[in-house]
Amino acid sequence: MLATSTRRRPLGRTIVHVAIVLALAFGVLAGAGGYWAVIRSTELSHSPYDPAVIAASRTVPRGAIIDREGNVLTHNEEDANGELYRRYSGPEISHVLGYASPRYGRAGLELAYDAELAGLAGDPLADALRKFGTDPYDPKDLHLAMSWDMQRAAVRALGRRRGAVVMIDPRNGEVLALASTPTYDASTITHPDTSQAAFESLRDDAAEPLLPRATLGRYVPGSVFKIVTAIAGLGSDAVTPDTTYAEQPRAERDGLLVEGFRIRDGHHPATGNRRLDFIEATEVSCNIWFALTGLETGGEPLVRYAEQLGFGSPIPFDLPTAPSQVTNGSGSAPGGFVDDVELANAAYGQAETFVTPLQMALVAATVANGGELMTPRLVTSISGRAGTRQIGPSTLARVLDPDDAAVINRAMVQAVEGPLGRQFTTGARVPGVTTAGKSGTAELGGQGEPHSWFIGFAPAEAPTIAIAVLVEQAGRGAEVASPIAGDLMALYLEGPQ
Amino acid sequence: MTGARQARPAQPAQLPRILGNIHPRPRWTEARLLAIVALALVVGSLSLGAGLTGRLALHAPAGLAIYLVALAGAHLAQVLAGRRSDEVLLPVVGLLGGISLLLMQRLPQGLQTLDLGGSTLGLGDVQLVWLVLAVVIATTLGIVVRSDSWLRRYKYTWAAAGIALLLLTFVFGSDIAGQRLTLRIGPLGGQPSELLKVILVVFLAGYLSENRPLLIEQDTRLGPIRLPPLPYLAPMVAMWAIALGIVVVQRDLGAALLFFAVFLALVYAATGRISLVVIGSILFFAGSALMANLFPHVRARIDIWIDPFVDPLGTGYQIVQSLHAFARGGLIGTGLGEGLPMVGGRLPIPEVHTDFPLAALGEELGLVGVIAILGLFFVVIERGLRIGASAADDFRAILATGLALVVGVQAFIIAAGNLKVLPLTGVTLPFISYGGSSLVVNAIVVGLLLALSDRGVEPPPPPTDVRRWRDRLRRRRRAA
Amino acid sequence: MDGLLLMVWVVRLLFLALLYFFLARVVRSLLRDLRAAAREPGASLGRLIVIESPSGDPEAGRSFDLDAITTLGRDVNNAIVIEDPFASAEHAVLTYRGRSWYVEDLGSTNGTFVNGRAVASIAPLGFGDEVSIGQVRLRLERARSG
Repeated sequence: MLATSTRRRPLGRTIVHVAIVLALAFGVLAGAGGYWAVIRSTELSHSPYDPAVIAASRTVPRGAIIDREGNVLTHNEEDANGELYRRYSGPEISHVLGYASPRYGRAGLELAYDAELAGLAGDPLADALRKFGTDPYDPKDLHLAMSWDMQRAAVRALGRRRGAVVMIDPRNGEVLALASTPTYDASTITHPDTSQAAFESLRDDAAEPLLPRATLGRYVPGSVFKIVTAIAGLGSDAVTPDTTYAEQPRAERDGLLVEGFRIRDGHHPATGNRRLDFIEATEVSCNIWFALTGLETGGEPLVRYAEQLGFGSPIPFDLPTAPSQVTNGSGSAPGGFVDDVELANAAYGQAETFVTPLQMALVAATVANGGELMTPRLVTSISGRAGTRQIGPSTLARVLDPDDAAVINRAMVQAVEGPLGRQFTTGARVPGVTTAGKSGTAELGGQGEPHSWFIGFAPAEAPTIAIAVLVEQAGRGAEVASPIAGDLMALYLEGPQ
Repeated sequence: MTGARQARPAQPAQLPRILGNIHPRPRWTEARLLAIVALALVVGSLSLGAGLTGRLALHAPAGLAIYLVALAGAHLAQVLAGRRSDEVLLPVVGLLGGISLLLMQRLPQGLQTLDLGGSTLGLGDVQLVWLVLAVVIATTLGIVVRSDSWLRRYKYTWAAAGIALLLLTFVFGSDIAGQRLTLRIGPLGGQPSELLKVILVVFLAGYLSENRPLLIEQDTRLGPIRLPPLPYLAPMVAMWAIALGIVVVQRDLGAALLFFAVFLALVYAATGRISLVVIGSILFFAGSALMANLFPHVRARIDIWIDPFVDPLGTGYQIVQSLHAFARGGLIGTGLGEGLPMVGGRLPIPEVHTDFPLAALGEELGLVGVIAILGLFFVVIERGLRIGASAADDFRAILATGLALVVGVQAFIIAAGNLKVLPLTGVTLPFISYGGSSLVVNAIVVGLLLALSDRGVEPPPPPTDVRRWRDRLRRRRRAA
Repeated sequence: MDGLLLMVWVVRLLFLALLYFFLARVVRSLLRDLRAAAREPGASLGRLIVIESPSGDPEAGRSFDLDAITTLGRDVNNAIVIEDPFASAEHAVLTYRGRSWYVEDLGSTNGTFVNGRAVASIAPLGFGDEVSIGQVRLRLERARSG
């Protein structure tokens, strides 16, 4: 009688289901724990937002940053409360070093190498062992390829103008100068007394002094882009150095009709009636020749060669870089161009083409180094208690055959040293040294003066220095950018190598 | 029956009668496990001392001793009472509580203070008082509760009391950080939603066990979906409304999520019908989506959850700091007392002792420690569900399952919040977070589970209602 | 790395190890419990072993397999016949309800005792508990495994 008992469906089975669901849920938690505590561990615990990093930064002296001649560019000073702050050697270097401020975070190399400078990062094994050591912090020193003297000279040469200078040793990618103006004094941001006022006024300044123009500024390239077109055209064998175009002389007078759109060029009195080959076209910076070469090469190869040079994505570098572009890629024609009109204009740097000064320095360096593009480097070694880690040269891309590179080299020499080229690049010539280069005047479509560009290298026979100079809205390339480049290359070649 | 007593033959030897009839029954498993707990906590205290003072010495040994004595007392009381209840629950919960004690002793003592006749108790001491009280409550309930009729019979009374409690909080509760969760009566303050979850489980156990036969029936058709008789879905709709009401009025997303998840799990356990769970979840998510559109604070929570790193120093600060803590801990942690650097004289994670204890433990004990703690919680769940699965009748089965879920789901919700698996909500981590309401209510849960696990409690009433339901169903079918 | 720090890390890792040692022991006891539960739905729900029987019927040491309802008493129709002067004809019934045993006194003259305590009407029974009917003492045991 009592044991008529519960013969209903027992609950055991559904409870087991509930248990399984909860077990899975807890498994997910363990997985999430693994994700944050192991996979993302290094990244998060070295982040400048990490309180342990912040706490350490107040008491542990940061590592030094030292230039190629051994000048120490950073100094640790103590404030009234005994907390440490950074002072830097001068405002000329601010865009490279950035700053490390408890209030405004980090920028520049101070951000990129924060973990190393703060003494947190090492190899994974050292990180694990750090827990067991009595002194957990091992601040490391950064040794730069940069020359403090060249950097100061570059900033001084730009003067009060807005612009950028990038100087690279084309043989190994060492960045010798990376100047952007206007600059700012990072020491005012890190000094506890001036920090807030300095940062806020810099942030609100319309001239954007906090913007590192050399790496993050994107500009219309104008004629300096013709070197990229030449690299693509010769590299893809779409044209040869001897290629001439029958329609070119007439087009210089009447304009070049591309799909109903007329591309015009200033008629050059000395060459206007002749068919120009590659070297002559480079010497006089003939827009028509390069527009036709761009069309001959095609959109897709042009973009492909540009990408090998570093276009299309951030350049692998110690500092953040903005990607340069040949076209904004919105079109459906090969390479992302809208149509041949855009392609023809892009071929001489006047369409939806935007470049960073660093990118253009790499273009010059590629030609200078026989077609092999070396990865640009600011930091050449990192030294700490455990020893020194070298960051050696590495090839970023093999872009051109040495033969093609030699032809472009010759053309760029002609553009600086040739009787006609000289007129476009006044002042770029380094006395006593064969100099190669290309100037550019980037029209901004009626919005003020054009940007003034120069890219080049020297000595042309065995280049040891490549340069890109940009001056915002300064007028013709010959007038502003070229002499700056010439003076800086001369200064570098004079100095001890 | 005195005659029978005289006729009775000699009985086996007994202990001296101190507390009436005492029939001690050894609980060896519990004793062995508690010994490991004591050893682990002593080692933990040594580790904590080393982290805080740099010397290998116990940190605050008096507090730890008091806690261990309380655990030993709980064990002895159950032995003397001769209870055959579960022997794993107390050690597991005891270890979680011990970890809580170590954590609260380690955090800055000023986070929570209690003035007591001239002397001021710090965070660790206050938590110790609550922990000992929790041990006493759990043990007492486990020993004293021999019958469940007081829960079974008055389920609607309990439900009414729970809702009254909620309404009282709506009306008289004090606002803390934009949430109206705390109810103060004189010097005592508590969070009624903590107690409400237990009351809810008791009500649901009563309702579901009584109506189980009908809920399993599928006589309402809604297109392709078969539903139980509609009147019996009314509580489901009511629960949905209450859960959303809590979100709107109390801004307590965590409690709402907890109530609804436990509710759906119990409905599934009782009926075995996944369709009810699916419908319930859809209703909940639809309601949540509506909330997110209507209320900016809900929307903000969800945005922070999706990417807290957008604003690591502003809205995303807490969760980002929590993730940083896990990251600093890595695999084996920094060691107790070595983590959580003070920045500018403050801890980097606000409300670490109530909302982020798992992050603090994740930093100091590492992933290895976190997984151990999650494992301990899962053991509590397993015990509760096992007690439910082997219970003598439906009411006890659903009650035990619900109690286990209340602890387990709450632990999951806050742990998931700390780990950015779910949006962060302000529920406590059971047995570990600082807080009297939380500890006492979870102690009640453990006490009831201990009582339910005891084979010796009063037998359930004979299930006389089966025939009645069957007849009623038959009549309804005939009418249809 | 100095000695003290090494010691501290030994202690720290020992703490973590103890957490897992504890978990392992818990899991072991849970598995034992689950195995026991898996055995339960076997043929027999338990057995009753005679510990003491002055009359010799049933004889001491004998073991009875139990059904869900097992009646005990002096009458021959009982599942377990207890030949004892103090036992009633229909003395008591053992029932298995849900997942536990209960003993119910059927209004016997001299009462039924569990561990020496008189059963008022119904009382729970655990494995290892002793039931006294008259002078006969029986112990409830788990069913033999297998």
